[in-house]
Amino acid sequence: MSQKQKQPSTREMKQRLKRAEPYVWMLPSILLMCAMIVVPIITVFRLSMSEISRANRVKGFNGLENFKDVIASPTFWNTLRNTLIWTVAVVGFSTLIGFVLAMVLNQNFRGRKVVRALVIFPWATSLIIQAVIWKYIINADYGALNVLLSKLGLIDHFVNWTATAGAFFAWECWVGIFVTVPFVTFCVLSGLQSIDTTYYEAAAVDGASFWRKLFNITLPLVRPSLTVSTVLNIIYVFNSFPIIWTISKGDPADKTHTLVTYLYKLSFTLGKSGQAAAVSVIGFIILAVCAGIYMMISLRGEEAD
Amino acid sequence: MDRRKPWQTVLLYLFVFVVCIVILYPYIVMFSTAAKTDAEMYSANPTIFPIEWQWSNFIDAWKAAPVFKYFLNSIIVAGGATLVAILCGIPAAYAMARMRFKGKGFFLGAVIMSQMFSPVVLLVGIYNVMTTMHLTNSLLGLVLLNAAFNQAFAIWLLRGTFLSISSEMEQAAKIDGCGTVQALLRVLLPVSAPGIVTALIFVFINAWNEYTIALSLISDDLLKPITVGINVFYGYNFIQWQYLFATSLFATIPVIILFLCIEKHLVAGLTAGGVKG
Repeated sequence: MSQKQKQPSTREMKQRLKRAEPYVWMLPSILLMCAMIVVPIITVFRLSMSEISRANRVKGFNGLENFKDVIASPTFWNTLRNTLIWTVAVVGFSTLIGFVLAMVLNQNFRGRKVVRALVIFPWATSLIIQAVIWKYIINADYGALNVLLSKLGLIDHFVNWTATAGAFFAWECWVGIFVTVPFVTFCVLSGLQSIDTTYYEAAAVDGASFWRKLFNITLPLVRPSLTVSTVLNIIYVFNSFPIIWTISKGDPADKTHTLVTYLYKLSFTLGKSGQAAAVSVIGFIILAVCAGIYMMISLRGEEAD
Repeated sequence: MDRRKPWQTVLLYLFVFVVCIVILYPYIVMFSTAAKTDAEMYSANPTIFPIEWQWSNFIDAWKAAPVFKYFLNSIIVAGGATLVAILCGIPAAYAMARMRFKGKGFFLGAVIMSQMFSPVVLLVGIYNVMTTMHLTNSLLGLVLLNAAFNQAFAIWLLRGTFLSISSEMEQAAKIDGCGTVQALLRVLLPVSAPGIVTALIFVFINAWNEYTIALSLISDDLLKPITVGINVFYGYNFIQWQYLFATSLFATIPVIILFLCIEKHLVAGLTAGGVKG
């Protein structure tokens, strides 16, 4: 009898241990992410409301002063506009080109494997290295593009490809597109390859045109892949730093900044860490909205299991 | 598949050809420039391919700057980050795949959310935190940061792999007297090898290619990884394009090869992680 009375307590202990077990398994990961991600997030918010000396010393709380300074600067608004153009243009064109490329790579043709492998190249290469190559290619004095075009007889004298801030920015968008297309291509391709071919066979029997098949079969069925690649790309491209920093450093006259290069310059070149933190918080809020949308999409998929 | 008409075939190959040229163009430029002589580099009559291929550039680049040290630093950072990310990621992914507990949905959400916040946006905070922890100018700091920012992907991919494997074998092992840890190590992990290798390589590549954190945190020249180190050839008034591109090629080729190895599993893992519905 006495044993029977004891048993529940040990069982309770065991149950309690069992309930704690999953958290123990996740502890290393949680600790790592807290120390390296959560603490910096909190710090950014704290710094954005602090007065900070040029020597990076926090002098005290100053409310929304940093935000007021940031908003008062015309550079900030131009930067915000650039960020929008940059994100929409790069993600938009990359998705379009990547989709077409995936459709082509889904065809049977000789050398398909080689082309597939080539498409990986820009995805695997470090952004900083690609940015440096393109900076060299578009150089006005000895750049590879001028040399190539003049050898082909397309231009008589070297063109200054980056004469204006707009031209600079357009080239940066092109490099952004160049490095983003592969990710879209492979996401869409994996979606395309999971489509049951009987759909197309049935459509062929009905004599459906290419466009009808595209809009009624292909697009609806690869939509999940397109959604993931688009949402992830919005976040990656929004956060992309090396391309713009390497090619123009936000110049001429701070006209080609996006939020991330601007905050880097504010903090590491100009020593205005408070304002940089405020820009971070603004970027953070924009991203949080995107992340929230993405999470809803992902978890909805999760529940459908 | 329908049969293609001849003009469609021509169009297809033409398109593919143009795509290949555009993709390869920067790599061709990188390679041919890396082998040029100084004279040819800045001559009044510039060339596309060098008339005289100066292969010694590929060797001299290593002597012109502590390139070897940069590579070593990159290997330490990427290798360390991979190790930490996987060692923390496997148990977390295991718990999220095999166990039921309160707050699982929240953790899954937090993992996805964390993927969204790139280090750049948090740079000011990261710099401040790392200064307090004396981890600026430290490879350990880079290891931990890269590991943390790759946790989301690692957990997501590993969890997907674990979920795709039936838990029957582990249960059988447990009935035979294995503990949970043993069941994981002896039964689940060997079967999950492709997923684990994919996660390992992808984290390694991400950490290898990382630029922004290293640029902000490392000022000691001998602690720079290669992505930041190549900037030595890129001074304000003097740019050594040949060495810059030679070194860049050395930093790029192994990564492309690694990437090609995991491409199939990676894409499957990414889409399986992101879209289930």
